[in-house]
Amino acid sequence: MSDASLAVSVGGLRLSSPLLTASGTFGHDPAALALLDPADLGALVLKTVTPEPRPGNPPPRMAEFRGGVLNSIGLENKGLDYWRETVAPQLERVPVPVVANAGGHRIADYVAVTTAFDAMAGVAAVELNLSCPNVDGGTRFATDPGALREVVAACREATAKPLWAKLSPEVSDVASLARAAEAGGADALTVCNTMRGLLVDWRARRPRLGGGTGGMSGPAIKPLALRLVWEASRACELPVVASGGCQSAEDVLEFVVAGAAAVQIGTAAFRRPDLFSIVARDLRGLLEEERVGLEELRATLEPSPPVS
Amino acid sequence: MDTAAPDATGVGCRRAWITARRDCGPDAFVLEVEVDDPPPPQPPGRFAMLSPWSEHDLGPGPVIPRPFSIYQRPAPERFTFLVQVLGPGTRALDALSLGDHVALTLPLGNGFVLPPPERPVVLVAGGVGSAPFFAYLEERRAAGAGERTWLLYGARSAPRLYDLAAFAALGTPLLTATDEGDAGFHGSVLDLLATELDAGRLPADARFAACGPEGLLHAFARFCRVRGLDAEVSLETYMGCGFGVCNACAVATDPDGPLGAWPWAKTCVDGPVFALEALAP
Ligand SMILES: Cc1cc2nc3c(=O)[nH]c(=O)nc-3n(C[C@H](O)[C@H](O)[C@H](O)COP(=O)(O)OP(=O)(O)OC[C@H]3O[C@@H](n4cnc5c(N)ncnc54)[C@H](O)[C@@H]3O)c2cc1C
Ligand SMILES: Cc1cc2nc3c(=O)[nH]c(=O)nc-3n(C[C@H](O)[C@H](O)[C@H](O)COP(=O)(O)O)c2cc1C
Ligand code: FES
Repeated sequence: MSDASLAVSVGGLRLSSPLLTASGTFGHDPAALALLDPADLGALVLKTVTPEPRPGNPPPRMAEFRGGVLNSIGLENKGLDYWRETVAPQLERVPVPVVANAGGHRIADYVAVTTAFDAMAGVAAVELNLSCPNVDGGTRFATDPGALREVVAACREATAKPLWAKLSPEVSDVASLARAAEAGGADALTVCNTMRGLLVDWRARRPRLGGGTGGMSGPAIKPLALRLVWEASRACELPVVASGGCQSAEDVLEFVVAGAAAVQIGTAAFRRPDLFSIVARDLRGLLEEERVGLEELRATLEPSPPVS
Repeated sequence: MDTAAPDATGVGCRRAWITARRDCGPDAFVLEVEVDDPPPPQPPGRFAMLSPWSEHDLGPGPVIPRPFSIYQRPAPERFTFLVQVLGPGTRALDALSLGDHVALTLPLGNGFVLPPPERPVVLVAGGVGSAPFFAYLEERRAAGAGERTWLLYGARSAPRLYDLAAFAALGTPLLTATDEGDAGFHGSVLDLLATELDAGRLPADARFAACGPEGLLHAFARFCRVRGLDAEVSLETYMGCGFGVCNACAVATDPDGPLGAWPWAKTCVDGPVFALEALAP
């Protein structure tokens, strides 16, 4: 089977591979592309940009547990002006499509960043981080379908580029949020983000993170992400980009069967920046072995979950 | 002029295999690995992220890799690491056997910028913090500056002066200190530094550099600031990725210092070696 067998389409964006980086886990800029073979990467998803600079949270910002990590970076970023001046010009030379990620506290924040991304030639699509657990009020848009629809609709007005809404796992009914994003005019969903957790140093009677709680990621959250991808993809017509715990081609195919059109690899790439090539190679092998294509496999999980 | 560091070309995650392993203390070992496509020569102080290799996924051991200074480079395609066994990450490396594969992401970090040969250098190591200084000493010796390059090596006890014989074999001046007093100076390596400076046996106009546990580095920084010494530290900050993408390794900087107004630097990219004036006091 040729390399073309890994090509997928996500909400109007053609990608040569279903494997994407995840926001905040592959840098603020394209520098780390030097560590992998871009031929195996479908898109480079960059760290969240907020209108104003954000210094982020006090260290320690990451702690590990069996199966994953907890992070409390706090959306450290140098803000939109810096990004426009120093990062955006680099993007035009990047050999893969770039998905820029917008964050903020208020609708106007998301609109300002989305508007700026819209004007950047090197940005192929915009992902809205509606779900960061590490900033005050960061999950409001993630949990209230009305607020989510409103912010997506406002950003829809601001860009003709593909618009992805990144949803939080910390919701009781992801289906209603998926439909709200669809109603607001999103082209795709990213499901999901980290989920808040706590690690404790009992001797010191202190949290192990400087920020107290943090977002859980890594292999441990795969079942959570699979469940949410399954529910979200059944609830609306939008393509779903899976994010949470992927570390192998088997994982990718599980997400695809559950309904994903593409899969982000985040935490796992810390240890293996070459993982995109390994997973792409294994994916080709598995698809060839089973004589099946990604599109054919997509959303074939039975039975359907109860749709609320 | 300080000599410029070579470029970080050749960075990547490689599959390496273990060619040798020997114990060098009650809780430490030297691991030698080999790669097929070695990067060009590197300045001392750069590091690698290490973890057990797997062909299809992350494989055994913790989810994130662990940072280790490049200790020695016995051949262009071989690297050694001096590893102190502490927790799950280092235990996973300890469990590997000859011929086993490791994922090796390198070369990472900035490394030391060596002062000109005529300038004296004093290196201060606490425990496994000696690792980045082996290559430093080798380079100074090769530049004809060996006799002007001191290593002050401290540890809790004599057996924890890891791989001491290898450092001694370099022939550069070596002073040891142990908290328990079973080798060298009885006390901390910083007390040794103060004693030697006060006695005029070490030049105060040297370049000073330290690597070791956080407590030692804080005390070293205070000491150098009070005395106005020109000093660098190599930090062992907790890391996620090691290559600049996760923002886990934030270290507070001096807003008026050489790294600019942003309150944090990334230890993995901007460091691990920092001039004292770059860091928040
Ligand atoms: C740039 C750099 C270079 C390094 N070079 C070396 C080296 O050459 N050789 C070497 O042995 N180690 C080195 N380290 C430290 C090494 O990375 C850690 O010891 C290792 O990550 C511990 O992992 P672990 O899973 O075994 O232990 P963990 O479970 O992470 O830690 C076990 C225990 O040790 C403590 N601990 C963890 N890290 C440190 C630390 N840095 N300092 C003090 N206590 C700590 C923890 O609080 C915990 O109590 C370096 C670190 C950095 C950032
Ligand atoms: C250190 C770290 C930083 C992150 N920063 C962001 C961010 O800035 N914006 C965002 O939308 N998601 C962020 N995430 C979430 C990831 O994009 C991803 O959704 C999550 O980690 C789950 O995927 P994984 O298990 O593959 O890592 C971050 C995750 C980690 C571990
Ligand atoms: S360890 Fe990830 S940015 Fe430094």
